[in-house]
Amino acid sequence: MIFPRLDPLTRKKFSRFARIRRGWWSAVLLTAAIVMSFFAELFVSNRALVVRHEGRWSFPAYGAIRPGTEFGQDYQYETNYRRLKKTFEEADRGDFVLLPPIPYNAYENDLPEGVYPPTAPDFASRHFLGTDTSGRDVLARLIYGFRTAIIFSLLLLLCNYVVGISIGCAMGYYGGAFDMFFQRLIEVWSNVPFLYVIIIVASIMVPNFFTLIFIMMFFGWMGMTWYMRTAVYKQKIREYVQAARAAGARDSYIIFRHILPNTISVIVTFIPFSVSGGIVALTSLDYLGFGLPPPTPSWGELLRQGTNRLDSIWMAASVVVSMIALLTMVTFVGEAVREAFDPRRHTVYE
Amino acid sequence: MKTLLLSILLAVPAAASSPHWEKASLPAGLKWQTNEADPVYADPAAKKGGTFYAHILSFPLTLRTVGPDANDSFRTFINANHTELTYFHPNTRKVIPGLATHWAYGPDQKSIYFKIHPKAAWSDGAPVVSMDYAFGLEMMRSKAIVAPWYNEHYSTKFDKILIIDDKTFAIISRDRHNHFDLHYTLAEGFHPRSSRFHKLDENWVRDVNWKIEPNTGPYQISSIEKGKEIVFERKKDWWGADLKYFKNRYNVDRIVLKVIRDQNIAFEHFKKGQLDGFSLTIPQYWHDKAKGDVFDKGYVRKLWFYEDRPQPEYGMWLNQDVDLFKDRDVRLGFQHAMNVDKVLSTVLRGDYERLNSSNEGYGKGTNRELKARPFDLKKADMHLTKAGWGKRGPDGIRVKDGRRLSARVTYGHASHNERVVVLKEEAKKAGIELTLQLLDPAASFKTMLEKKHEIAYSGWGAQRQPEYWGQYHGVNAHKPQTNNFSNTDDPALDKMITAWRAEFDADKRDELSRRIQKRIWEIAAYIPTWKVPYWRVAYWRWVKWPNPPGTRTSDDPILYLFKESDAWDGMFWLDEDAKKETLAAMKSGKTFPPVTLVDKTYREN
Repeated sequence: MIFPRLDPLTRKKFSRFARIRRGWWSAVLLTAAIVMSFFAELFVSNRALVVRHEGRWSFPAYGAIRPGTEFGQDYQYETNYRRLKKTFEEADRGDFVLLPPIPYNAYENDLPEGVYPPTAPDFASRHFLGTDTSGRDVLARLIYGFRTAIIFSLLLLLCNYVVGISIGCAMGYYGGAFDMFFQRLIEVWSNVPFLYVIIIVASIMVPNFFTLIFIMMFFGWMGMTWYMRTAVYKQKIREYVQAARAAGARDSYIIFRHILPNTISVIVTFIPFSVSGGIVALTSLDYLGFGLPPPTPSWGELLRQGTNRLDSIWMAASVVVSMIALLTMVTFVGEAVREAFDPRRHTVYE
Repeated sequence: MKTLLLSILLAVPAAASSPHWEKASLPAGLKWQTNEADPVYADPAAKKGGTFYAHILSFPLTLRTVGPDANDSFRTFINANHTELTYFHPNTRKVIPGLATHWAYGPDQKSIYFKIHPKAAWSDGAPVVSMDYAFGLEMMRSKAIVAPWYNEHYSTKFDKILIIDDKTFAIISRDRHNHFDLHYTLAEGFHPRSSRFHKLDENWVRDVNWKIEPNTGPYQISSIEKGKEIVFERKKDWWGADLKYFKNRYNVDRIVLKVIRDQNIAFEHFKKGQLDGFSLTIPQYWHDKAKGDVFDKGYVRKLWFYEDRPQPEYGMWLNQDVDLFKDRDVRLGFQHAMNVDKVLSTVLRGDYERLNSSNEGYGKGTNRELKARPFDLKKADMHLTKAGWGKRGPDGIRVKDGRRLSARVTYGHASHNERVVVLKEEAKKAGIELTLQLLDPAASFKTMLEKKHEIAYSGWGAQRQPEYWGQYHGVNAHKPQTNNFSNTDDPALDKMITAWRAEFDADKRDELSRRIQKRIWEIAAYIPTWKVPYWRVAYWRWVKWPNPPGTRTSDDPILYLFKESDAWDGMFWLDEDAKKETLAAMKSGKTFPPVTLVDKTYREN
């Protein structure tokens, strides 16, 4: 797809967007959160950032695991850096371990003797939001769950839009029998109960990240087609399209070069709502137990544990607060985008 | 003339035989047996009277015990009030009389004869006669009940009923059985049915859906309020009330089962005194929820009772048809890499115990020398290295010829997630990757039946006797739709199982049983996980228990106010004076010392 270069109009739209404060700050915060979540291993991990052992420096945060023997411990499995830190401190020989601020990963069970999970938030053990029913750090699972959800949602959006926009454009542009055929197909397709299909699929196989995206795309691409179809119908009869056609331009050139850029405001307006839709869909599937397989960190799974254990309120509360914050921000962005891209503010019908 | 004709008609039986029964005479040399010698276990101090309030989580869809929607947990309440011909003594495990006073075994090992108690009567007053059993078989085989499983079961296991006279009959099996199995297969759960009540036509399912069926047991349903409650009333002149093993049991006059659809809400009802007892076996309830005023002030008491009955076989079965698990050393490596103890001591709060072998709680038939293999990284490493899995890859998982040491664990309950993830994380330390395949319960069971699993994480309900043949005999290996989840196919084991099935002598059977368990342990394809050899309840202090409060084989007496096929239910009673005293104390603020009773009479070791 070729996007238009920043023409004055687009620049105007962006500056308008930036002037809508809550939308703008939400966008900044969200972007920061997403970018940071891609480097979550540096903030939330049971692997140390830096280890100095007998004068050698190592950076275990990324890459292959380092067995305990590498740092003079007596075990073959991955080094327990929290314990290593204590060992080094006790030995006091100038060796040191620098741990991330939240020294737990999302899968590991921290189950000390005599304490039964879930444990309440505790700053001393650095479980800032407590642990879940199998002793995993809630904050770690929240952050990695966010990363999963946002990547899932963006990928799903991309897939849905590529399919939906292509078919929608084609319907609007070619019209006639082609349009008629797809209209009926979509009507039938929309009536397949999506949730049941997921439940059936999930009960006979374990859906992984990509199969889940595929299934959801399979039933989610229709949404955009209607809007694109109408938008394209509207643009198709405009003079510039007629002119391009008269000049002998190919259909694909006209669609992608002329029509699509002029319908971009429709697409852009929908993006934030699709993102939040994707997150909600994944979370609710996980909550019902039909989403990503355990032990994948996920908000839905955490929420389910939380609702079963309302006496340990930190689990449910963490997810609910995060969910509200995230969805509110996405909605603010969405509103601001709609406002900024509102065609009535920029265009004059001739 | 008319009377003469009638008497002739009556004298000639309507049909001399049918596929379900035939007339016969007693074979010579039959040795009638009974058992009045075993100890009683109910408390002679028990008082009759009072109303016991309990709850069920949903209203049953029908009062039928067979047919569509009848397979509900409520069914046990109805079935338990059909007195069985014989029971197994809940402490000695020997056969004791029930509706039959005497029994005898036919020489062909396929038949068992019964003498019906002369006073045995239906709730409608009619005496129980042999023909009621014949009709019971006919009904179970009838297409009218729309219950294919029962049709099949009663056609393939049962041959026919022999009617000797009104009070004597025999059940004939299709297969040969030892004495224990004859009771277990033919007598237990097979009830007489009243032909006055059941009309076996196409309307049967609908007609009797909400009708109260005549029964022979101590209680009968007296009223139902659909969706709300079911009331059982004790029969004032029950025929069995004074029999040795029934006396001083079934003490409460009325049992009211309220429908409360949420366990947490039901617990609140209990704490307000609207329910008399509550089951607390689940750790969260016992430790976290059963606290507060009514407990501290001694109005509500807690009871933790250890029993010694067959334990469900929870564990992980390594599928030996998968290349990886063909090597015994790999299996041993996995045995030592599963940190079951950590699961027990953390997420299960030290409440469950380690199951040591495939079949615990079978008395002398359990091999107590066997101990589950502990989590031991050194031993795991030794066995896995011996099997060629000595090297570790960059992610710490062992590799061999470019393959990672990874196995899929199939399981069917999301509530087990917290246990499985601990096993998974701990196994990493041994260089083993477990991938988790959580399916819905039915799909997971199907996957295992089809042998499409690598590791089956599952459990088998406890049976009266071990299911060696179904689960470990080579006949059932390498094919779908059998219970041999580990695909164990070991000629030595097969021989022992076959011998065990054919053995009639109790001591020899137990000895064989112990050897079979040893062999299963040696094959190492079954990793035993946990057991819960106890039940725990909370009860208001006016509920009284015998001493000891249960029997060797009893189960949760609040969850199972009535328990079908078992003879330990209904042992508690209500003390009306204590109730008045407690209610008055609650008003005046008087307190009693809090009581938590732990009974280890039947605790193993």
